Amino acid sequence: MQAVRAGWRRLSRDERLAYLILLPALSAVFVIVTIPFVLVIIQSLSTEDGTFVGPLNYSRALANPLLYEAIRATGVYALIVLPIEILLGLSFALLVHRTVRRPGLRAAIYVLAILPLVVPPVAIGVVARLIYAPGYGVLNVLLERYVGVHQEINWLGDPTLAMLAVASVDIWQWTPFVYLVLFSGLQTVPRESVEAAQIDGANWWAQFRYIDLHYLRPLFILILFFRLADVLRVFDHVFILTGGGPGTSTQLLSLYMYRVEFKFFDTGQAAALAVVVLVSFSLLYTLIARVLPLERA
Amino acid sequence: MRRLGTAVILRSALTTFALGLAGVLYGFPLYWLFVTSLKSKGELFASTVHLIPHNPTFAAYSSVLIDRGFWVLLKNSVVVCVSTVLVTLVVGLVITYPLTRLPVPARLRVGVLNWALSLRFLPPIAVVIPYFAIVRTVQIYDQPIALIGIYSLFNLPFAIWMLKGFLTEIPLELEDAARVDGATRWIAFWRVLLPLAAPGVMAAAIIIFTFAWSEFLFALILTATPNAQTFPVGVQGLVTQFEIIWNDMAAAGVIAMALPLVLMVIGRRYIVAGLTFGVIREK
Repeated sequence: MQAVRAGWRRLSRDERLAYLILLPALSAVFVIVTIPFVLVIIQSLSTEDGTFVGPLNYSRALANPLLYEAIRATGVYALIVLPIEILLGLSFALLVHRTVRRPGLRAAIYVLAILPLVVPPVAIGVVARLIYAPGYGVLNVLLERYVGVHQEINWLGDPTLAMLAVASVDIWQWTPFVYLVLFSGLQTVPRESVEAAQIDGANWWAQFRYIDLHYLRPLFILILFFRLADVLRVFDHVFILTGGGPGTSTQLLSLYMYRVEFKFFDTGQAAALAVVVLVSFSLLYTLIARVLPLERA
Repeated sequence: MRRLGTAVILRSALTTFALGLAGVLYGFPLYWLFVTSLKSKGELFASTVHLIPHNPTFAAYSSVLIDRGFWVLLKNSVVVCVSTVLVTLVVGLVITYPLTRLPVPARLRVGVLNWALSLRFLPPIAVVIPYFAIVRTVQIYDQPIALIGIYSLFNLPFAIWMLKGFLTEIPLELEDAARVDGATRWIAFWRVLLPLAAPGVMAAAIIIFTFAWSEFLFALILTATPNAQTFPVGVQGLVTQFEIIWNDMAAAGVIAMALPLVLMVIGRRYIVAGLTFGVIREK
């Protein structure tokens, strides 16, 4: 106590003020964040009425084949969505960067690219319903009228097509994000190095490979971080569009956990799943966060 | 020389094609949502689907907002979102002010920022399971306050990173000058720093509002009646019911989108900065 008080007195007035503001605020937020973590661990080790059961919930959660179907579905979803979004976003960024010179057009593309990012996922789920739904979906109408497909395709009734439909919504909403990040990255490429390369006769691929890519590399990590964080938590538009079906084909991790807790009312198992997810996500986070190009100073 | 000519033509053709395709892929779904919302009940069940509405009507909007009583949910959404913005910004400023304006060890600053960043990776579904138990124990289930609390928590990382970015850009000397003239630290903050940071704070407010407006999972789980249900929960109710009334559902979708789109026009320069924690800045 004496030592603490002496240390406190050795600080300057401003330093003391900083701690006076920070300590209560940070400890309050820290406690509020930590309580659910502690509680979920307790929940995962007990039954609904609070009796301690040890690791039983964990063994039940990990023995459930539906968990592995959910992990598989989430993996498939991520493997469809992330590469397509990054490739499309990159191609579009390069195309606009190299060919569109008019500032007005660039500004218009910017605004249009922002648009999907602020639309609530629930509303996008509604749009997707209007397009894919059996009976009313406009996609089948368009296919029949302009492509000549007369057989009605049940987009949401077939496991593969349903997964593609759900993924298409993600691609629609988030490719513009990848585009915006990479496009702004391309603006930071110094013009001199591009001009020098052109004088040396570098074609567009060489320009991209040896100059642009160098400036974009940190942004790819950034995109991967934010997109992965969102892809792993996807819930809203899938819930609206397929509800996880048909069967469990689009039951991603979030939807599966929702079902265990709020449809099967199995809090013990859901809590055990939550702990497993929290631990594995923390590991994943530490792997990526290390290389993130954020200004932390 | 002619080679170059064809290359240029090819390139601009490719650009036009890509832009046009993107325009159709983004324009048509939104157009179709809007058109469906303007259809009458009769037109919904017509045997041929019209791509252009024949007798546009706003009946679906009044049906959703008044007959179904969704204006209450809209009101709840506004209450929840505005409160979330206020709480998040106040807590965000309380944390970022000392970090950017006062002498704190670099380790503490980096620690706080890293911790905020790690919260961005936190999956809501894993948190909502214990939070649901807490909300029931303290008896705030189906109350707006339960949503305001969790929304503020999940938006705090954005607020901290964005505010930190904006505050560091304002030179310390301006406040120092005010304090040399006799202003207290509080006056210097309130009269000098905050007005200068206002555009950034506004941008953060808009982004937090938009996020809270879109949120669905927590609202679905933590509310049950129009007492606290937010608009997205109402939209969901229209989708998952037994018989879908398409024009009502579309109208609800349009209403859910409208406010974020208007706000986006105001805050468009900051959206990407917000989504990337301030890494990507538009000029």
